[in-house]
Amino acid sequence: MVERQSPLEPVYHPGSHGNFEHGIDVILSETRPGSILQLAAWPGEEKRLMSGIYKVTGLALPDGAGGGVSNGAKSAFGFAPGKFTVVDEAEGLASAFTGVLTPSIGTLTDLSHGRTAIRIAGPKAEWVLAKFFAIDFALPAFPLGAGRSTNHHDIFAQIQRSSADQFDIYVFRSFARSFWKALCHASEEVGYEVQ
Amino acid sequence: MLITCPYCGPRDVIEFTYQGDGNRERPQPASQDLDAWNAYVYDRLNPAGDHNEIWQHSGGCRAHLRVVRNTLTHEILSTAFARGGHKTESRS
Amino acid sequence: MSPRRAETGGRIDRLRTIRFTFDGSPYTGHAGDTLASALLASGVTLFGRSFKYHRPRGLLAAGVEEPNALVTVLRGEVREPNIPATMVEIYDGLVAVSQNRSPSLAWDIGALNQLGGKLLSAGFYYKTFMGPVFGPLKGTRFWMFCEHFIRRAAGLGKASIAPDTARYERMNAFCDVLVVGSGPAGLMAAKAAADQGARVILAELEARFGGSANWSDETIDGAPAADWAGRIVGQLEGNDNVCLLPRTTVWGYYDGNTLAALERVTDHKEVPAKGEPRQRSWAIRAKTVVLATGSFERPLVFPGNDRPGVMLAHAAARYANQYGVLPGERIALFTNNDSAYRSALALKKAGAAVVAIVDVRSDVSNEMSRLASEAEAELLAGHAVVATEGGKALTGLKVQRFDMMSGALSGDERSIHADCLAMSGGWSPTIHLASQAGAKAEWDPAKQAFLPPQPTQRWIGAGAFTGSFSTAQAIAEGRAAGLQAAGGSASSAPLPVVEAAPGDPDPAPVFEIKAKGKSFVDFQHDVTAEDVRLAHREGFVSVEHLKRYTTLGMATDQGKNSNVPGLAIMAEALGKPIPEVGTTRFRPPYTAVSIGSLAAERFGDLKPERLTPMHDWHIANGATMYSAGLWYRPMIYGLPGETVEQAYVREAKATRESAGIVDVSTLGKIAVQGPDAAEFLDRVYTNMFSTLAVGKARYGLMLREDGLAFDDGTTWRLGEQEFLMTTTTANAGKVMQHLEYFLDVIWPELKVTVTSVTDEWAGAAIGGPKARAILAACVTGTAVDNAALPFMGIVHGRIAGVPVVICRLSFSGEMAFEVYSGAGYGTRVWEALVEAGRPLGLVTYGLEALGTMRIEKGHVTGAEIDGRTTARDLHLEWMLSKKKPFIGSAMMDREGLISPERLQLVGLVSLDNRPFNGGAHIVEELDEENPHDSIGHITACCYSPALGKYIALALVKDGKARHGTRAFVSDPLRKRFGPIEIVSNHFYDPDGSRMHG
Repeated sequence: MVERQSPLEPVYHPGSHGNFEHGIDVILSETRPGSILQLAAWPGEEKRLMSGIYKVTGLALPDGAGGGVSNGAKSAFGFAPGKFTVVDEAEGLASAFTGVLTPSIGTLTDLSHGRTAIRIAGPKAEWVLAKFFAIDFALPAFPLGAGRSTNHHDIFAQIQRSSADQFDIYVFRSFARSFWKALCHASEEVGYEVQ
Repeated sequence: MLITCPYCGPRDVIEFTYQGDGNRERPQPASQDLDAWNAYVYDRLNPAGDHNEIWQHSGGCRAHLRVVRNTLTHEILSTAFARGGHKTESRS
Repeated sequence: MSPRRAETGGRIDRLRTIRFTFDGSPYTGHAGDTLASALLASGVTLFGRSFKYHRPRGLLAAGVEEPNALVTVLRGEVREPNIPATMVEIYDGLVAVSQNRSPSLAWDIGALNQLGGKLLSAGFYYKTFMGPVFGPLKGTRFWMFCEHFIRRAAGLGKASIAPDTARYERMNAFCDVLVVGSGPAGLMAAKAAADQGARVILAELEARFGGSANWSDETIDGAPAADWAGRIVGQLEGNDNVCLLPRTTVWGYYDGNTLAALERVTDHKEVPAKGEPRQRSWAIRAKTVVLATGSFERPLVFPGNDRPGVMLAHAAARYANQYGVLPGERIALFTNNDSAYRSALALKKAGAAVVAIVDVRSDVSNEMSRLASEAEAELLAGHAVVATEGGKALTGLKVQRFDMMSGALSGDERSIHADCLAMSGGWSPTIHLASQAGAKAEWDPAKQAFLPPQPTQRWIGAGAFTGSFSTAQAIAEGRAAGLQAAGGSASSAPLPVVEAAPGDPDPAPVFEIKAKGKSFVDFQHDVTAEDVRLAHREGFVSVEHLKRYTTLGMATDQGKNSNVPGLAIMAEALGKPIPEVGTTRFRPPYTAVSIGSLAAERFGDLKPERLTPMHDWHIANGATMYSAGLWYRPMIYGLPGETVEQAYVREAKATRESAGIVDVSTLGKIAVQGPDAAEFLDRVYTNMFSTLAVGKARYGLMLREDGLAFDDGTTWRLGEQEFLMTTTTANAGKVMQHLEYFLDVIWPELKVTVTSVTDEWAGAAIGGPKARAILAACVTGTAVDNAALPFMGIVHGRIAGVPVVICRLSFSGEMAFEVYSGAGYGTRVWEALVEAGRPLGLVTYGLEALGTMRIEKGHVTGAEIDGRTTARDLHLEWMLSKKKPFIGSAMMDREGLISPERLQLVGLVSLDNRPFNGGAHIVEELDEENPHDSIGHITACCYSPALGKYIALALVKDGKARHGTRAFVSDPLRKRFGPIEIVSNHFYDPDGSRMHG
């Protein structure tokens, strides 16, 4: 497999930054999953699609808008009516859906190159994200595993809460560098580390 | 202003795009009735009060919504998927 | 010890001395001081010069409503003007200067304006600068001429010219209960709501929580009120559900219970911590808001009421109690209500001599008489202040007998020696946010105040905001509001016990003492009672007109002090009761908001950069980048010493002679998938796509519903149910929305998904006579000859080990191929193509050469598809299918859209061999002096290396019929006139033999 180039390369500086002398409250990283898929079910076929996702990934999606689940290596969440994002550390997840996701259920769109996955973790992750997005990041409003579609001005983002104080943000690749720089800038206040 | 998206819940108006008057009725694609097409493309009621509107949750799930909004108070009275299905009453 | 600082008392840290300068002179104060209190403690009485008359002014208030003591704070070269000194917390190194004075605060040349006082009365500018009816200065020109001088003479602080280097940011917050104001009512509300488990935000515009508790002289539960407040704040601090926001002004109440607030994060610090913003702009979405915003004390309107030393009674008491500063040694009070007696007592306790209490009411209650004697003050009931004396500081005042019912003065004037006059004209609830939220305020005749309206949004009022002016009421209402807001039930638990001086909160309905001399209503805009009456005499009867004509309430304090007295004087002039005159509606912002905080995280970084996968390669290889919307694209890859024209001519020429490669990753790309995808495309495009074979591409055109052209591009059929649509770079978002709209709203029965895959694919277009040979040299897994890859054919293969999709199509007019790969492989594929092309003379080219070659070919882009042109105007009628309806088909044949008079696409050749400019007009008759009768305009132009001429595309009236005729280009703005020939838009290789090969 040929190594993929990250859009963040020239601005990705591992180490401690910002006001870190007073403690590091946020950890930023690019997770570089091998597969990012978007799956859409025709109306009424959502359950069949969800069971297809379970069959391929072992991830049991909870019912309800924005429901999601993550097992570390793989994650999935709803981001729109009948639509799900499914992510795998490994490449080639799309082909695993061949024969499972039939045209009578819906469609699969491979966005493994088109979206960049950025992770923000730490006690101040909610605080930093609230600088960008007009959604409620508090745990009761944004439960574990859940996904949200939102935007920061021109930058569209899908966000999954992958643990209590950790969020995975999927942004368009072309905007990823700008968003990363803005995220670093906004994290300076609380002290951050790039891993 | 907040609009309650039936999928995403209440979201700030900055996430939405106004997509026009919800009272428009599109003639059948093959219709040659130019008056009906004119009415669909150009005629707008502009009421002072409750107004049927189409909004897209363009900064969210991207679904189009049918929204009833009061043009005098900006109160959102109801939202529903334009495709049909779930409707959220939000009159307080 | 400074001259005015009391030996003890106040909520300041006397062990911490802070050094700062004001107008260049060094001063000291203590932690907890504002600039106002620290200067007052140092004996400063003169803080500013008034707006029009340049009258000396001192402190009127102690809080956010201060109209007089506006200062400019400097941080290096950056200056922030018009900040009330009462809102500036001092820090070591603070540099503040006074405003509106020249050369100095004490000796101000503009004070001469006072001598011509009459000249500057209401409407002065309107009347004087209307200008003559004719002549060089007719109409508003005269005003424009004079404005420069007037703006220098009048006005407030100067704005900064140096760029603001501070950091600003936005914060989004959600809560169950937002409590605005942290006086006893707000604290109780926050505590009660938090105890119910609600998520609470408590916003306080000052540095210190507690509001009036910090200076009220009252006790709550046996402790000084300030200590009680400190205890409650401590409890709130320990609660994870509570977010405490000091120095945060909630300034806007918007629809959907969305409130805007400004947090001054580091304005009080000498140096912010790393990454800390100067100000944070909060957008708070609250389920319920508790408005506990308190009230403002009103000034009384009487001659000389603006003299330094005349201040609001509560402000005088507050300086004494909160800051340990005596605003005077001999203090007189002037009031129409009981609250001033409390202030008198506080001032007495703090060590001042209270020389007199002048009360407009003749019957003062026994309780008040007792308070007066406790303060050892002479009580002058049924009296009024008719004049003040002194220059830059008060030296005394004159009083006369006053009849409240008639307003008449009688008896001899009596002089009282005093250096501070503390006045109280009653209290106005701070209803601004409630007013912004919707309904109209209601006048309460007993309280002589506008009370908040019935809520039209989800808010609950508490305390002085509702007109309940006692602390005991505030505490009760605060708790009830907090419980209700959090969804709890009313509590019967005992409330904290308040010990306070007695007093009836209702004032006498006296707003003005009419006597000789200037009586100010609006201190900041220098509007007098006489100005209000003059406006009335001149026919301004609506309160909205009054406001604009006199500028009453239009200064930076937005009428916080002047609103009610101004209305009362207008009502009297009209002979109407106040409620019939009405009040103006308050609008955001409540206080001044910095522009930087509104730009917030976008300050200095207006838009994000959208970069293609090969961006860094372009930069490293000498590209000059060009911003196209949010995208950055190579404009040229210039060689040393080359001009832009030389570079693009070289690039285009080389492409037509051998080969060129261009980054086309920015093209909009939309995956259209599903069983009904082909049917959907048939409806969306003017031409057929259901007949397109898998593995082929087709050029498509979309119209809008009204029949005008919308967008064009090629769409590739990758599978039976899978298409890859490309759009123009600029329209990608619009086309996506267009498709989503029709799928969601018009044809929900179609099983189609559309997904933006613009960022999934890197695209490189390689064209020219050698293009195929270059591909053949680096592509594996597929042949690229004419049989395997005919025009509009698609093949899958590999380049540098990476899977690619190659489509043979042409924008340049040469034989050309678009090579798509996963974006993460984009640079790798690009480099492989460049490497393979090097021996064959391949050049990289940018947008300029791309544009040149498309103009030579006569292809349309967004410059021609401009929202006014039809398919026929662009000679694309061959794309309009007659076999099916499509979006726009019903409307496209309307009379006006098929008229021969319409502008049609043509080519132009410069006959004088000089370049064209975009936007230049085409005329039949050249008239440089008086250009007229345009028959069209240029949409795109370049030097054509293929033709060796300057050429252009243009939209010209009945253009096709004019092929071969001559006309002129007329561009008076850029002084470019000259002969042209109108030709077909297909300049180069019109039969397409080069690209079909």
